[in-house]
Amino acid sequence: MRFLAYVLTSLILGILVGHFYSPNFGNLYEIMLYILILTIGIDLGMSFRLKEVKRLGKTALILPLGTMIGSLLGAFLASLLLGIGLKWGLAIGAGCGWYSLTGPLIGQYSAVYGTLGFLANLTREIFTVLGYPVVSKRISKELAVSMGGATTMDTTLPIITKFGGSEVALVAFVHGFILTAMVPFIVPFILQF
Amino acid sequence: MNIFIPLLLGLIIGYLLRIKDKKVNVDKPMSAALLLLIFFMGVEAGKVKISAGWLLISSVVFAALTIAGSLGFAVLLGGRR
Repeated sequence: MRFLAYVLTSLILGILVGHFYSPNFGNLYEIMLYILILTIGIDLGMSFRLKEVKRLGKTALILPLGTMIGSLLGAFLASLLLGIGLKWGLAIGAGCGWYSLTGPLIGQYSAVYGTLGFLANLTREIFTVLGYPVVSKRISKELAVSMGGATTMDTTLPIITKFGGSEVALVAFVHGFILTAMVPFIVPFILQF
Repeated sequence: MNIFIPLLLGLIIGYLLRIKDKKVNVDKPMSAALLLLIFFMGVEAGKVKISAGWLLISSVVFAALTIAGSLGFAVLLGGRR
């Protein structure tokens, strides 16, 4: 929660600085992005163990794929509703709640859609925190995990564990983990078109 | 530079560190890079004239529909129960 406050402060401060002073930081943005991607890669490389993922069974492996496809379909619909180019819309949806990566990745190409990608995915995380307790009562607790997207391995894991139980926590962790491994490849892939 | 290059490089470094049983804490550099990156993203967004209302509504629409899509597909895969 404290880090989220830092993130929002950073964004608001940046918007104010950009609005009032319009400074030019050269390619610092890109350098920071590459450093972030490199550290994400190191983190994934150190922690990814295929054997442990396989042990959880079929549902835990298929669910992240369903989450990603469903998210892309939802983003497709949102793009049509809001009149936003499909490339931007699908890239936003492919973020699956990982706002801190999706925003900057899209921001390389468009500041406006980068900010939208950031806020839309942040809103998804907030909706998951608020909505999981309700949704998990209406559908299976394991399947309700899909609403959190990639965030189910960290930020939304506590709420899922509290309302879904410890068995669901493991599914949620693997679900988030697989999506976390997919998102850094899928968002840039969509943006290449 | 293609984004996949630092990502793949990171994956290889991470894998090599793991097989050598060396643990590196990337939390702090990751957080610092992230906060700076978001600041720079905000700066670029601040330079562009953009309606805050449009941004807010679009964010909510995207969040609601991507969640609905994911849940819908999950139910399709696993059944309601």
